[in-house]
Amino acid sequence: MVDKLLEVEDLRTSFFTYAGEVKAVRGVSLHVNKGEAVGIVGESGCGKSVTALSIMRLIPSPPGKIVTGSVSLYGKDLLKLPIKAMQKIRGKEMGMIFQDPMTSLNPVLSIGQQIGEVLAFHEGLKGKDAANRSVELLKMVGIPSPEERLRQYPHHFSGGMRQRVMIAMALACSPKLLIADEPTTALDVTIQAQIIELMNDLRERLDTSIILITHDLGVVAKLCTRVIVMYAGQIIEQGSTDEIFYNPKHPYTMGLLKSVPRLDEIEKRKLVPIAGHPPDLISSLKGCAFNPRCEYAMKICLRETPEIMDVGPDHKARCWLINKERANEDDVIQGQKNVK
Amino acid sequence: MKGCYTGMGTDKRSLVNVKNLKKYFQMPRGTILGENVYLQAVDDVSFHIDEGETLGLVGESGCGKTTCGRTMVRLYEPTSGHMYFEGQDIFKLSSKEMIPVKQKMQMIFQDPYSSLNPRMTVSDIIGEPLEVHSLITNRRERMERIYELLNLVGLTREHANRYPHEFSGGQCQRIGIARALAVDPKFIICDEPISALDVSIQAQVVNLLEELQEQFKLTYLFIAHDLAMVKHISVRIAVMYLGKVVELADKLDLYDNPLHPYTQALLSAIPIPDPDVERQRQRIILEGEVPTPINPPRGCRFKTRCKYVKPECAEEPPLKDVGGGHMVACHLI
Repeated sequence: MVDKLLEVEDLRTSFFTYAGEVKAVRGVSLHVNKGEAVGIVGESGCGKSVTALSIMRLIPSPPGKIVTGSVSLYGKDLLKLPIKAMQKIRGKEMGMIFQDPMTSLNPVLSIGQQIGEVLAFHEGLKGKDAANRSVELLKMVGIPSPEERLRQYPHHFSGGMRQRVMIAMALACSPKLLIADEPTTALDVTIQAQIIELMNDLRERLDTSIILITHDLGVVAKLCTRVIVMYAGQIIEQGSTDEIFYNPKHPYTMGLLKSVPRLDEIEKRKLVPIAGHPPDLISSLKGCAFNPRCEYAMKICLRETPEIMDVGPDHKARCWLINKERANEDDVIQGQKNVK
Repeated sequence: MKGCYTGMGTDKRSLVNVKNLKKYFQMPRGTILGENVYLQAVDDVSFHIDEGETLGLVGESGCGKTTCGRTMVRLYEPTSGHMYFEGQDIFKLSSKEMIPVKQKMQMIFQDPYSSLNPRMTVSDIIGEPLEVHSLITNRRERMERIYELLNLVGLTREHANRYPHEFSGGQCQRIGIARALAVDPKFIICDEPISALDVSIQAQVVNLLEELQEQFKLTYLFIAHDLAMVKHISVRIAVMYLGKVVELADKLDLYDNPLHPYTQALLSAIPIPDPDVERQRQRIILEGEVPTPINPPRGCRFKTRCKYVKPECAEEPPLKDVGGGHMVACHLI
């Protein structure tokens, strides 16, 4: 029996704007086991960051609101906790790394003060103890001469170094779960490699579970054991990394894999883009959200939203194609391939 | 094709020939009497691009690749060096003489939103270069040309009267491409044209650029940091580090047999979307960070991060041909 650390059930988060309700997350259910790295991939606006923020209860409200659902960490429903109790969990049980290391640190506080704040709040460490622990943390994430660095301010650090500081802060209280929202998108590839290596190392040494949100399939292949693919606020496919990469079932996942060029390709092949663009979540979607871009779209896809179904052990997909009873190949809409 | 790679620009077929290009930016002085301090963004870079070819220019942020591209079309005034376009040194031309040259060289920018004027309609954006270069005589001709260009980049004539904010990132980039194509250029500098776009949209834009290249015999300088995409679109690739070209080779040559330690590290740092391959790969992790280009290391600029560093590296390695047009600047070779 594997240990389930985090379980999210039917999470729905909306933003209430002047233009109407934007359903950013539309019924996401997922779980994270102990010591596992789960990747969430998808295009911008697919709801992957909102899912992460909902788990941390950091959705700006108003306009955002978690409409329904439950997020349980070790069986404790986080969405029902009072704010004070949630603050005790945030940073202690769950840490988060944000996308932009340039703007996520406070520019007028030294690095030592910022790490110290976390330690004082959760562990009650002050003065020398806090400083010693901070030095330890900076050492762990590979920042040279940590004693001096502690007195410096964020502008003294480069992008990669700031991301390391962010990771050190997120790990300050050895959380069980680390949520990394595009941790390397703003960084150069050689620095990205350093950060990925660091995260992998921390997972192995400290047995931390990781949720990695990214759009880079290469990073997922390197770091994650399980992958969740999101589209228009829903999970459209999930499974082990091998299943998703070698045996994708949803046309969107297949499209994503075909649209990226690979460095190790010898023969040049034409890229196969996914035609069209993602839907606007403000309008109500009828049928499968991917149907306007799908080359296999059938009549049923326009009418009804498919349920997520098992396609194998540890592999699920949300597509009418795998529902053999209801899918009818004759139904394929002709000319769909040429959507622009 | 092999005949084209004869090294430094002796070949007449080269459309673009950059020689010893330098661009230094003057920094604010620390004190009034202090010395002038320069940021050496591009320092002695030479390469050539043949007609109809795509040269990829890669490197990390701050390595000078964008400055190089912008200086080539004189968006920045060069500090020194030459840029021969169709055999003519365009750095010697007056701004008036530059106008007909600029018609043949166009640029596509990184950020599709900020490179389009939000207060102009699509037809005004695409129509402006037509007017500047007097390529149209009347309104009807102008609109016809605009519709034709929109069609070329996969948009329709209904889009002509809309404003940039009504479009998605990929569509904005298509408008930027249509604007560049409006004046019938020969050479287009694509400065990170896809890095602001989503994965599924990137492929659309790259395919469009390739189709247009075939149709109009365009020559591209493709600047990007996504090496997988650069490898896909380019014929040859130049790798820059701290204002210098450290390696330049045919793309397959560069990927199969990278010679410079920096190129090796850069290539190994890129994750491949294939879990089996990733599990077996050995990664070269570079220590440290890129030094500042204000006071770059003397001699080889990579020596502060290179694990093979030797005493000779205190002297600057020249970019030399090691056979078959594969050029590398390293003392180890």
